Amino acid sequence: MIGPVWVLVGPTLFILTLGLLFGEVSNSSSDVFIPHLTIGLITWTLISGFVTGSTTVFQRNRAQIMHGGMSLLNIAAVDVIRTIIHFLHQIIIVIVVFVIYDLNVALNALVALIGLMVLVINGVWLTLFFGMVGARYRDLSEIVTAVMRIAFLATPIIWLPAERGAGGIMGAFLTYNPFYHYLDIVRAPLLGHVVTLMSVQVVGGITITGIVVTYLFYRRLHFRVPLWV
Amino acid sequence: MKSLIEVDCCSLSVPVFQPNDRQLMTNPLQFIADLYLSRTQRGVVNLLDDISLKLEPGERLGVIGANGAGKSTLLRLLAGIYAPTLGVLRTRGVVKGLFDISLGMNPEATGLENVYIRGLQMGYRLNEIRTMIPEILEFSELEEAIERPLNTFSTGMRLRLAVAVSTMKAPDVLLLDEWIGTGDSSFRDKLRERMHNFVDESGGLVIASHDAPLMRTLCTQGVVLEAGRIVFQGDLEESLDFYQQKVVKGKRSVGARLL
Repeated sequence: MIGPVWVLVGPTLFILTLGLLFGEVSNSSSDVFIPHLTIGLITWTLISGFVTGSTTVFQRNRAQIMHGGMSLLNIAAVDVIRTIIHFLHQIIIVIVVFVIYDLNVALNALVALIGLMVLVINGVWLTLFFGMVGARYRDLSEIVTAVMRIAFLATPIIWLPAERGAGGIMGAFLTYNPFYHYLDIVRAPLLGHVVTLMSVQVVGGITITGIVVTYLFYRRLHFRVPLWV
Repeated sequence: MKSLIEVDCCSLSVPVFQPNDRQLMTNPLQFIADLYLSRTQRGVVNLLDDISLKLEPGERLGVIGANGAGKSTLLRLLAGIYAPTLGVLRTRGVVKGLFDISLGMNPEATGLENVYIRGLQMGYRLNEIRTMIPEILEFSELEEAIERPLNTFSTGMRLRLAVAVSTMKAPDVLLLDEWIGTGDSSFRDKLRERMHNFVDESGGLVIASHDAPLMRTLCTQGVVLEAGRIVFQGDLEESLDFYQQKVVKGKRSVGARLL
């Protein structure tokens, strides 16, 4: 009985296949690429889980909303927690990779925990915000799904940036890609790199703006959501 | 004593959406406009119009009206799901709607797990739920089946479990959209007794129903709704009479028009 461990099978196969394939075609060594890929992919699952889940959260919980008793914030929290639990299972893969490649985790890897906390905070406002807008505009979920598919390719998960932070032709994909910065505040400390000041600024700016805007929207719109779903 | 519920000139008006209004891509700026500018551009429907009523402790109010008169909408307003567009709604204590007794139950989870899920959703704490379990098992007669997935339960068993959990603790004001009372004949009596006890323990009741005999046994006050307005308010018996007459008259006038 492997039960919940099933959620590990998909990402493991993905990492194995890509790891082998890229080991063949590129000259980067697998002990750099595989940890990069693993942490990237699993952190990406968390980020994209928040984003894609957020747009339909209130439609999916229509029955609950129409029954009363649970606030929108509660309903959003349930969704966020479910995504986090899913993510926590997948951390096992990261640990296994660290053991296999005998990577040392320095003390500053604890910064990654702060990074994760920031991701979760963003997950909360994002779920509330996109949840409200998505309840009103049903095509938002389609738009977001399409964007996330491209963002996955544009973010250095299955490829290595030439130089960290600003590398060659891919520079723009890093600088102007918020997902890269969100990913890097978790990944860089774990791989023994320093989180760039730019990442901190971008993530901090988006987080604060997001919380403020969501608060304003929530105050103005939350009582209308039952009419929309 | 203060009223349990005080509805003061409440209206609920809802903008009418055209299919295209719900697509962000057809008009991205509409969203901002909706927020700050163009409330007047859209057609508006009054689901509830200038509703005023009071529920004193111990009173039981029957909401009477044809389909689409706004009975469920009124209950949702009282439950705090819809906020009134105009007017003030004041409630005291726990106002709880029991609109869907099996809400949130997960067919994959066991009966016992569903007791916890349902209990948490109703706002109980884990240790409260734990103390409720013996009584839930006794009422639902599911001691043997409780560890099995809900999927394997018969409809009757599910209903028994749902009723048992949903009626554990009476709120200050109970809101009911139609009476809960189906199941096989042996259970029906037990269910009726349980529901009546539940209503008795609640501080007040608001029920919407089409079942006049039931309302006579339950309610003290009545209110008749028509197209979102209160057209009559008073004693239950008078309210039922008023509604009956209106319906009879209404039918006659339709008949006259046909002739």
